[in-house]
Amino acid sequence: MQWLLEFAQSWFSELTGLVSQGSKRVFLGYLLSAAILAIIWLMWQRKLNFMAAVGWFFRRETWWSRSSRSDYQLMLLNQPLMLLLSPLLLSKLVLATSIFYSLSDWVVRPLWSSDISAFWVSVLFTACLFVVDDASRYYLHRLMHRWPALWAFHRVHHTAESLTPFTVFRTHPVEGVLFGLRSALVQGFLIGIFVFLFYDRVTLLSVLGANVFTAALNFLGSNLRHSPVPISYGKTLERWLISPAQHQIHHSQAREHWNKNFGAFIAVWDRVGNTLEYGSNTQDLTYGLRHQKPQEHQLVTLYWQPFKHCWRCLRRTKIKPNSAMSAISETP
Amino acid sequence: MIKTLLSVVVAASVTLTGQANAGGHAEVYAGFPITVKNYSGSKTHSEAYTGQIARHVLHNSAKKLVSRGASLEQTKAYFNGKEPGRVIVDPVSKDGFPVLQTHVDKISKGKNLSGKAYKGLISGMPGGLTGAELLDLLLEKAAATEKGFDPLTGYDYTQLVSKFTMGAVFYNQAVDNYLDEKLGANVNPNNKAYKEGKAYTGKEHVWDEAFGYFGAPAHTMTLTAAEVYGIAKQKADSFDKADYNNDGKVSLVTEMAYAHAYYAASFDKGGKTKYLHTIVQAFLDGRNLISSANGEALTTGQRSELMGYAGIIKSQWQRLIAEAVFKYAGSVYGDIEKLETIIEANGDAVKAYRNYAKHWGELKGFALALEAGGVNLGETGVKLNRLLGYSPVLLGNTQVAALVNGEFVQSSSVSMAEYRVQMIKLQKLMIDDFGVEARSKDVTANLAQLVDSLGEALAAEND
Repeated sequence: MQWLLEFAQSWFSELTGLVSQGSKRVFLGYLLSAAILAIIWLMWQRKLNFMAAVGWFFRRETWWSRSSRSDYQLMLLNQPLMLLLSPLLLSKLVLATSIFYSLSDWVVRPLWSSDISAFWVSVLFTACLFVVDDASRYYLHRLMHRWPALWAFHRVHHTAESLTPFTVFRTHPVEGVLFGLRSALVQGFLIGIFVFLFYDRVTLLSVLGANVFTAALNFLGSNLRHSPVPISYGKTLERWLISPAQHQIHHSQAREHWNKNFGAFIAVWDRVGNTLEYGSNTQDLTYGLRHQKPQEHQLVTLYWQPFKHCWRCLRRTKIKPNSAMSAISETP
Repeated sequence: MIKTLLSVVVAASVTLTGQANAGGHAEVYAGFPITVKNYSGSKTHSEAYTGQIARHVLHNSAKKLVSRGASLEQTKAYFNGKEPGRVIVDPVSKDGFPVLQTHVDKISKGKNLSGKAYKGLISGMPGGLTGAELLDLLLEKAAATEKGFDPLTGYDYTQLVSKFTMGAVFYNQAVDNYLDEKLGANVNPNNKAYKEGKAYTGKEHVWDEAFGYFGAPAHTMTLTAAEVYGIAKQKADSFDKADYNNDGKVSLVTEMAYAHAYYAASFDKGGKTKYLHTIVQAFLDGRNLISSANGEALTTGQRSELMGYAGIIKSQWQRLIAEAVFKYAGSVYGDIEKLETIIEANGDAVKAYRNYAKHWGELKGFALALEAGGVNLGETGVKLNRLLGYSPVLLGNTQVAALVNGEFVQSSSVSMAEYRVQMIKLQKLMIDDFGVEARSKDVTANLAQLVDSLGEALAAEND
């Protein structure tokens, strides 16, 4: 009973933390700044007055659609599931420590590492973390689309027919675990390497507990990638940074948009991988998967169906990349 | 009638100490009943460890003398001598922290340190010397330096002598003698007085002597680790905690903290470990067990239980020394970092070098102490000695390699950068082979801090 109470408390604290902590994607500050940016953009681009812009942005058919309601349900239910799964996962600290000791055993620390001041070490660490983390997100995301057994789980995210900042929570727990492993690998490796090179001069430059680069982009409206507002940065900037409009293209049903814009923040990976598509302020897209059934928004389907799809793929293809796209024909 | 009177006196003394012990379980290492049959002396309690406390005071005093650059004759008077009239150099009264005794003889007469030093071979220093011989050599060398520091070898004799004495005398005597062979069934039996006319049995006294060497205040279980630390440091605001009997002065016998008990407190106050209270509790449990035998020989079952308490003390004591090795390996790592930065910038490295030598002396002293526990460290000992070497790596990448005709001889060594990395390996060795948990000055601590700063929570979120 005590255990149950503690678990419920942890659940509640995780949920409140989602909006109260700067390290979370839907931190209230980021949501507010995104809403302000969206309304300003609507007034500027769509020539709406303030009240009309507010009304358009917060329209019920987006925020309270069947699709969005299932996003909120997943947000609530995934939290305790992830709490239960967390202890089973690879610990960043264990990985970082083992990298640190391995490097100490086999590599002589270069002399130049002593020449860099603590400030620049921290800038380097924070930037590396942002860039490498982003690159790994791109690669895993690409795999989630290319490998049918992984797509079976990632498609849950793509069944969203209306996009709000809470669509980030429309994620199957298996995918959450994969993202957790990716994050642990990247962060563990980088921490191990940086502490080996720079000892106690390594710190994370952070704002409100989040990587300063991530926080800056979040304040600049990264939450609008999942929103009804197609903000494009223009071709020049979209070669470097993924705009909301570009990510919305990633969610588009249109065949020409399939397998485009896998990037999270940085667009360079999409350029290198030949998957970049520029956005447009005037684009009008339909989201979700083709031939999607209404029950795709039911919790049981969202949680259970991916396992069935995955099993089908594994039986037919033995997880060969690209060989079984036909197994699930609606890949965007 | 006499018997009744005696029991009244004992009961009264127990009540006065406030710690009922006869048949009960003492919280304070005091007021244990006299169980020797037909004892006719005037003592009212059986615990006695003044000889061990005298040696703590001699050690503290000798350390202070070496650091002041005293002559060999002066330091040897405390280390090897047994002459009466020796003044206590440390601990002495401080503002707000008066101590009761000012002369060693007021605690115990005719005691020295060298007579109890470890007679086994110490392989962590060159020359194939025993613990006792090594201490003699270190004292001689110390007297030839200015205030105990030799910049040519990097030896800080004050630290080397002090930390190794703690190992070669206190630790060795307690774990390799009193808590080892002297717990044997036929050695110092419990159904006889330790010596004719003494108020304590053989086993009672053996156990008390081991407790004395640990260096904890008798009322440790009523104190926190931070309070015991404050007492050892003689902080004025710790006086009330130290003065357990409220006589206005701190008794150096029962109310002071020394040596490994002080280190245990220093680690435990960080909150990750409980060496101090675990060890003192085991001492109390063991002593209560012996008292409960009421002057009869210990049964096999009682002796087995007693060995269990001794086992706890030995393993915890060894681990806390390993914690000290861990801590000072981290300090040395940081010192080399600073030295490298200063040298790179052509700065003045004198102070940094002095700190490096000091921490290395502490590190080496504790590492050597591990050899004096009567346990063959095997491969761990070999690794420990190879990683640490016979001296700190000096600025020209040299290190003491041998002892020839009483002189330390240097030869080329690994670079300081490599030596710094060896400190990481040394810390890892302490984790892997001794299971240290307090981990002060952990060179990998930054890893945990960074992981914390990034957050460990797993979230099901998409891009």
